[in-house]
Amino acid sequence: MTDKPMLQVVDLTIAFPTAAVVDQVSFEIPQGGTMGLVGESGSGKSMTSLAVMGLLPREARTTGRISFMDEELLGRSDRQMRRLRGDRMAMIFQDPLSSLNPYYTVGFQIAEAYRAHRGGSRRAGLRRAVEAMDRVKIVDADKRVNHYPHQFSGGMRQRVMIAMALVCEPELIIADEPTTALDVTVQAQILELLAEVQQSTGAGMLFITHDLAVVSQVSDRITVMRHGRTVEQGTAEQIFSRPSNDYTRQLLAATPRLDDQVDLPEPILTPVGSEDS
Amino acid sequence: MISYILKRLLGAVVTMLAVIFFTFIIFFYLTPDPAASICGDACTPDTIVQIRRQLGLEEPFFVQFWAFLSGIFVGRTYGEGTAAEIYCSAPCLGYSFQYRTDVFDGIVDRLPVTITIAVGAAVLWILSGVAAGVISAVKQGTWWDRGAMMFALAGVSLPNYFVALVLQYLLVVQLQWLPFPAVVGFTDDPTRWFQTYIMPWTVLALMYASMYARLTRTNMIDTLGENFMRTAHAKGLRPAPIMLRHGLRPSLTPVVTLLGMDFATLLGGALITETVFGLNGVGRWAYNAIGTNDQPVIMGVTLLAAFAVIIANIVVDLTYTALDPRVRESTK
Repeated sequence: MTDKPMLQVVDLTIAFPTAAVVDQVSFEIPQGGTMGLVGESGSGKSMTSLAVMGLLPREARTTGRISFMDEELLGRSDRQMRRLRGDRMAMIFQDPLSSLNPYYTVGFQIAEAYRAHRGGSRRAGLRRAVEAMDRVKIVDADKRVNHYPHQFSGGMRQRVMIAMALVCEPELIIADEPTTALDVTVQAQILELLAEVQQSTGAGMLFITHDLAVVSQVSDRITVMRHGRTVEQGTAEQIFSRPSNDYTRQLLAATPRLDDQVDLPEPILTPVGSEDS
Repeated sequence: MISYILKRLLGAVVTMLAVIFFTFIIFFYLTPDPAASICGDACTPDTIVQIRRQLGLEEPFFVQFWAFLSGIFVGRTYGEGTAAEIYCSAPCLGYSFQYRTDVFDGIVDRLPVTITIAVGAAVLWILSGVAAGVISAVKQGTWWDRGAMMFALAGVSLPNYFVALVLQYLLVVQLQWLPFPAVVGFTDDPTRWFQTYIMPWTVLALMYASMYARLTRTNMIDTLGENFMRTAHAKGLRPAPIMLRHGLRPSLTPVVTLLGMDFATLLGGALITETVFGLNGVGRWAYNAIGTNDQPVIMGVTLLAAFAVIIANIVVDLTYTALDPRVRESTK
């Protein structure tokens, strides 16, 4: 690991003609590190991630700096950003069903991401797709590659999305609420998978969520956002044990925890055998 | 898949029988006496009765219906045992005493003209309509979009007999760029063939392309808002595959439905267009037959149109299964 951050966002401001949605947000991700971006909906966390990808709507005006591996991204042309997207930085979205095109097989869609940047035949692309699906632990990847998104379960679809993001071995993965649409057990599996993937590829990750419980599992550092501004920033440890901001404290208090003490009601029936006879 | 097709075909047969039945009722009860119109000027009540006998019109409804229905499969003989016996071979859709021809043969003779008009126009309107729709959707809100939609509005609003007459007057009469339309075979004189059909194609295509442009635009705008479009951008695809592969294909499903219906309707005769340009297709035949109350012809063309729509319905549904993998699943 070098000292230089892989992604550095400095004073990022995003404004639409009607309103500013992100105001002077700064954070950085070290090589192979994970930054958790936490906030309620409308806090500007997704807009921040789209700005990094260069996917903001045309009418959005951005100022500040976004530098990725020492290259400035803001002000780049569409074509230059297109070369980066899907290749050196990839994104995983919230709802895998609607984020996959129902008309094409998952293999085609994964291969498409690969071939857009590396070229090669359809067949070679499909081979890559199978490999990527293997890596995200989709069983029978060589068969599943020809299936359509609707033939997968929610968790499997998100694995497909992750495979698609991984296929070009990006340096930065942006995960925008990747587990929100999934049920809790599947959520845990996907988080585990993301952590594994990150470890094996050494990619940096920007992890966006509204859920502090989730972010605590994946992030070294956390930025809490509200109304487009940074509320608090620090290591996961700091944020969880010594939150300095009121809003962060409220967020923490709103997160249910497994070790919470709950007053269980007394059982109505006494267990068999313990009755006095 | 095969059982699905068989099921659909069986359904089509039932529908077709129902259509024949109801069409027959309409013609049996609601139209003027065909014998009178065949009879002509020097007509006595006796001759009318005679003609009615020959046509089998004196028989009760179900006997006549049965004669018509069985005629389709095994043929029938008009005026059996009389001197003027006429045999109409299967598939017999009736016999036109005015044209002195088997209705089915009459349709078969005229169908190539109608099909040529329909196919050529369809190719033209799909290409131009879908292209205009895609451009409008991608350039939504720009002058491209407004221009295309203005043009589409005009295309839908202008009655096609009007466009046909204006075109004919301009191109044939005034500028003399094109000769008067006359039906020739493609192999006989390809240039003349093209010159004849280009006007009816354009007239029909203008109207339909306008509808297709608007439909494509609406669907495409919906699709462009889908999450998978954002994924396509995030993958770093080029604009063309993003728009065509991810944007256009899902937007085409409703276009296919409409195309099936419109094309089928045209096979039943492009009545106005054929008549204005004097092309001897099925539509013009029906138009003339309406004027002279030649019921077997009207009924025959009506059934042809119904048949085309029913078949088109099945073709459209089968095309869906090719277009949409989710539909494919449900037809297995």
